[in-house]
Amino acid sequence: MKTVQKVVNPVRRAGEQSPAGIYDENLKVRKRREWRGVKDTFYDYTRWLYLVSVLAKFIAVPRNIKGFFRYRWMMSYLFVMHGMDKFTIGLRDEALRIAHTSFNFVIADVTQAIANCFRGDRRVGNDKKYSDACVITDENSMVTFMMGFDTNKVHTILREVPTMFASNIFHQFNVMHYLDIAQQYGIPGDVCPMPEAEAGISIEDDFCVLGSCAVQNNTTCDGSLMGNGIIAKRLEREYGIPTFQLATPLRHKEPDVLDYAAEEIKKAIAFVEEHTGVKWDWDIYFNAAKRVNDATRCRIAQMEINSTPYPQFFGAAFSLYNDTNYMGNSGRNADFVTIDHKLLELAEKGYQAKRMYAKEYRHRCIVWGVQPQYVIDMLYWMVQCWGVVPLTDMLSVINTDMIADEDTPENREQAYRDMAMLNMEMIMRNHTHGGYKVLLDDLWDLCEKMNADIVMMWEHMSCKALTGMHGMFEEQARERGIHIMWVSHDLCDPRVFTRQAIRDQVNSYMRTVMREEPLDPALEIIPDNEAY
Amino acid sequence: MSKIARTAGKVLLGIVAAALSFFIVTFTIYFFNLDMKATAMLEPFFEKWYDKLERRQYI
Repeated sequence: MKTVQKVVNPVRRAGEQSPAGIYDENLKVRKRREWRGVKDTFYDYTRWLYLVSVLAKFIAVPRNIKGFFRYRWMMSYLFVMHGMDKFTIGLRDEALRIAHTSFNFVIADVTQAIANCFRGDRRVGNDKKYSDACVITDENSMVTFMMGFDTNKVHTILREVPTMFASNIFHQFNVMHYLDIAQQYGIPGDVCPMPEAEAGISIEDDFCVLGSCAVQNNTTCDGSLMGNGIIAKRLEREYGIPTFQLATPLRHKEPDVLDYAAEEIKKAIAFVEEHTGVKWDWDIYFNAAKRVNDATRCRIAQMEINSTPYPQFFGAAFSLYNDTNYMGNSGRNADFVTIDHKLLELAEKGYQAKRMYAKEYRHRCIVWGVQPQYVIDMLYWMVQCWGVVPLTDMLSVINTDMIADEDTPENREQAYRDMAMLNMEMIMRNHTHGGYKVLLDDLWDLCEKMNADIVMMWEHMSCKALTGMHGMFEEQARERGIHIMWVSHDLCDPRVFTRQAIRDQVNSYMRTVMREEPLDPALEIIPDNEAY
Repeated sequence: MSKIARTAGKVLLGIVAAALSFFIVTFTIYFFNLDMKATAMLEPFFEKWYDKLERRQYI
């Protein structure tokens, strides 16, 4: 079997040596915050103050209070700091700063998204003029078709992000109510709980209602298609919001689908123009395209650092930040550029100083499959408890090609193909659909490039996209001498797999197959199953 | 010492005392996670509130 060189951290960690002391089985939140030494604790405290200020600013607006008391999912946002704590366990120095810089920015972005939803919501802010300038899109959708619209004139509202996706990060139980609602109405419990919860939110009438139109995307699975149908029906028939179906080819590696995909993008743009009355602007598009390329270059540089013995930016914060930037932003917001460069600067500094997240790195791991790592501090736990470094994850392995970013007549036609390519290769679809080449071959290439000896395969119980490939993964991993560690979960339904049940699968593999003892035995069992 | 200097000294002392009090209070809340513990206590009341709201369920 493949082995990698063990890397030992010569520097003793500042503050307490194990984060195990912060958990308490009688509490739904942490007992206290981690002592990281004076410098890093003070830094963490200042970021906590910053988040308090973000939330205080949000709640100071009366319509946001009204929205809070109208929507059940808003309760999750009481636990924003708890969510942040999950993604900083054991972190010091640059790693702590990277996690805060990226995730704090995502939190501020989501807070703004909620404020925008409430402003236009017919039940809360009811700002009709604003609402008429809004276009609703899916949570799991690339917004490339909005790249050429002036953000001061047309507002893109990814309505499901604050309602379901982000709120679940802060509170692991928050979508159970909506899953129960969906199942009461006969939707089977064996579809992915993410779109099922979104369907439940629609059935419960717990989505904000706003926008002149909506664009839905055939995202990645049976659950998504089912959920979109239910949501579109309510949007169109009850609220009179016309909904466009952006049908994107799933076999995205086949060159002959690109023309069709580009035509679909053109139709989506025409639909938005028709319903908002705002015209597509090529200057705005090509400026956004430059920012997309800049973000791609920064992401490639981060991955290169992660290929060295001293990876710097990884874990759920890496994945979430990429998700927000690549899909939800798509070059439209210039603020991301500053953050991208700040993160790269921090990572380069950390790399120069040979900073490590734990006292020892024993294994280099690629995290693959449909992941639940936003609701659990799993990736940080792996490195702290077992010295297994999650170099990158499937959702962060996205487009690395540059798109046309100069305004020429040829490039205007190319732009539709670029948008179509990005849309087809959106997060999730780019690896769960498109055949074994994107799911298997890409994985082995990545193991080679990043010098990984372990693949942690997230096995999502309700996801049909990967089920048929189980045997092929096993067989091909064996041929290459790569350890493959299957870890089952049910995404955002903690009733099927609790956090400890998820961690126990890693514990068993490391003890029985790898014959190893944990780096930090106090972390092997953590009493956080009932914590938010 | 002139009156102005004395007043300036008092103002400065006041600012330092206020900043120190702010730090002690907020740092205590931060370190012992009192913010999250307090909101966790409130959650059951919010749950009841949301349960009471009428919804138009429709599929």
